[in-house]
Amino acid sequence: MAIKLNSKVTYLFKKREFGIFLFILILLAVFGTLEPRFFRSDNLSAILSSVGILMVVGAGQTLVIVTRNIDLSVGSTLGMAAMVMGMVARENPDFPIFGLIVIAMIVGGLCGLLNGFLVSYGKIPAIIATLGTLAIIRGAVFLVSDNVQIDPNDVPQGIINLATTSPIGIPWLLIFAFLSIILVWYVSSKTLLGKRIYAVGSNPEGAISRGLSFNKITIMVFVFVGVLAGLGGVLYTARYATINPADVGRGLEFDVISAVVIGGTNIFGGSGTALGTALGCILIGILSNGLTVVGVSPFWKACATGFLILAAVAIDNSVRKRQEQNFLLAIRNQRTVK
Amino acid sequence: MSPLLKNNPRFKVPGYLVGPILILIIAMTYGSLGSEYFLDPSSIIFNTGRYIEIGLLALALTFVIINGDIDLSVASTLAASAGVLAKLYESGVPILWCCVASIFTGLVLGLINGLIVIKFGLPSLVVTLATLALYRGLTQVILGDGVVANYPESFVGFDQRLVIGGDPGLPAPLALFIVAAIIFYYILHRSNYGLKNIMSGSNPSSSNFSGINLDRVRLLAFTLSGTVAGICAVMITSRLGSTISNVGLGLELLAITAVVLGGTDIFGGRGAISGTVVALFAIMAVREALVIQDINGQVQDAAIGLLLILTVLVPQIRSYYVEKRNRRKRFNEAQSRT
Repeated sequence: MAIKLNSKVTYLFKKREFGIFLFILILLAVFGTLEPRFFRSDNLSAILSSVGILMVVGAGQTLVIVTRNIDLSVGSTLGMAAMVMGMVARENPDFPIFGLIVIAMIVGGLCGLLNGFLVSYGKIPAIIATLGTLAIIRGAVFLVSDNVQIDPNDVPQGIINLATTSPIGIPWLLIFAFLSIILVWYVSSKTLLGKRIYAVGSNPEGAISRGLSFNKITIMVFVFVGVLAGLGGVLYTARYATINPADVGRGLEFDVISAVVIGGTNIFGGSGTALGTALGCILIGILSNGLTVVGVSPFWKACATGFLILAAVAIDNSVRKRQEQNFLLAIRNQRTVK
Repeated sequence: MSPLLKNNPRFKVPGYLVGPILILIIAMTYGSLGSEYFLDPSSIIFNTGRYIEIGLLALALTFVIINGDIDLSVASTLAASAGVLAKLYESGVPILWCCVASIFTGLVLGLINGLIVIKFGLPSLVVTLATLALYRGLTQVILGDGVVANYPESFVGFDQRLVIGGDPGLPAPLALFIVAAIIFYYILHRSNYGLKNIMSGSNPSSSNFSGINLDRVRLLAFTLSGTVAGICAVMITSRLGSTISNVGLGLELLAITAVVLGGTDIFGGRGAISGTVVALFAIMAVREALVIQDINGQVQDAAIGLLLILTVLVPQIRSYYVEKRNRRKRFNEAQSRT
């Protein structure tokens, strides 16, 4: 029993997610002792709602990074979806809320489809393609909106309510966030599609030679992150109630990618979990809010995020190297026994 | 065409220059439709002043990208160097020493990038994404919300000075760029280091076996890119006459676009200084043409993004059709033989 418990504990400690979880606890303790107001309910709900938007987009980004790609255009996609949705709502105030959400997700999905085609059939490296679409979609937001922002009184009340209310107590925003994380967890660990996505990420040539359609999976993953970014656009509108063509979702890609990388997803593809991404999002949310609450200049936030990414990647790398060494050692030992 | 020029390899335009030259011509035509003064030589020459920083960054980035690495943090390195310059000047250090310190800061930051990438064996994409935030954050910490201005008369207005007088004249930034381009041309295409650089990008393992110190080559490229960012910080401060923390925000997109547009392979191993130079002027022409036609800044960025994608996409499509044609030709030949 003791041995079993011991092995369970060591298993837990070996888990990447557990380390992030511990770090979150430490951060909470530090911020809580420095400034008790950190734990006030309105502050916690502010953290959660900003984390929710990150989580929705981060869930999709995890799968993209697992396939060895990266989507830098998520911020612009989110902006595009929110803007189109806001304009539809402005023209037809009686449009059903569900219809608006679907419109935003479709717009996001179309942006994702563009990225997917460029990366798969166009054979453009994802970082270049999405660096381009980052600017293109942002320009399209301006062209579509004619540089006019959507004011809070043009946003239907039903959308704004998504950020605060729901039938079961926790706001819709968080329900959407958890649902998208659970969806990614389910797809990646329980379905054949998930296995294929991870196979393409860990060994593209091998996956192709086993008959997987590389292009199809790449497009699927990009459309998926686009749809989730569209949903993120809805949540952004719910939270801020204003859609400014220049501001909406700007710089989001950085936070999302940081969260995914901190969450343990390998930037070279092939590994990464939804749970890790969720914890990474929470970590970033707590860090940026906590620094402000404690009274550190918000300017340190970018520094801290940069450090975190570096630390996360460095730790990840050393762990991977050690695993490889252990693996090689194990093989050698087996041979000598024989 | 005279027989001397026709089919003479010495006068053949390299393939990678065709795209940028076409873009240059189209943009020039489009701009001259907007205003008759667009093609005025002295206005063209003076407009170059705003793009020289991008050009220098792109020249240095060419080395990094040929190595198969990428440096997303150049604009942030520039900002941090400018921040050091501003802060030192504010505390009463003579302006000359401030400039030296700024260039030195760029060197150190580039060296840090390179050391992290090489010593930890991490992907440069993630590392420089992290330092993009880190260095920008440092700039914000150094400068805060403030503006540093009141630089001495002898320091500001570098771009207004003429090296060669006269009506079109030769402004100092353009002269500097020409000199820099020639120097970089000699380093990349005529020197030992350039050869090592291209070789280590095209086939790292075989270059390693042939005795090239890969780490040193890559480290030098990162340091070069940082140092040039430091020099650009001095230039941009002199040109703008003031420093704020978001100086040079988003310049990395333009610089990387210039490098890729100029035919440098984003995966490394191939590239030319002449391509980067022509591509810079193409980007400049596009920007200026859009400015003259009174088009929104975000849409200008979108046009640059579109350019970036098209320059990678068009050769892919072309090679697809060429390959298809060759395959058909081979098929027909085989049939006619039987």
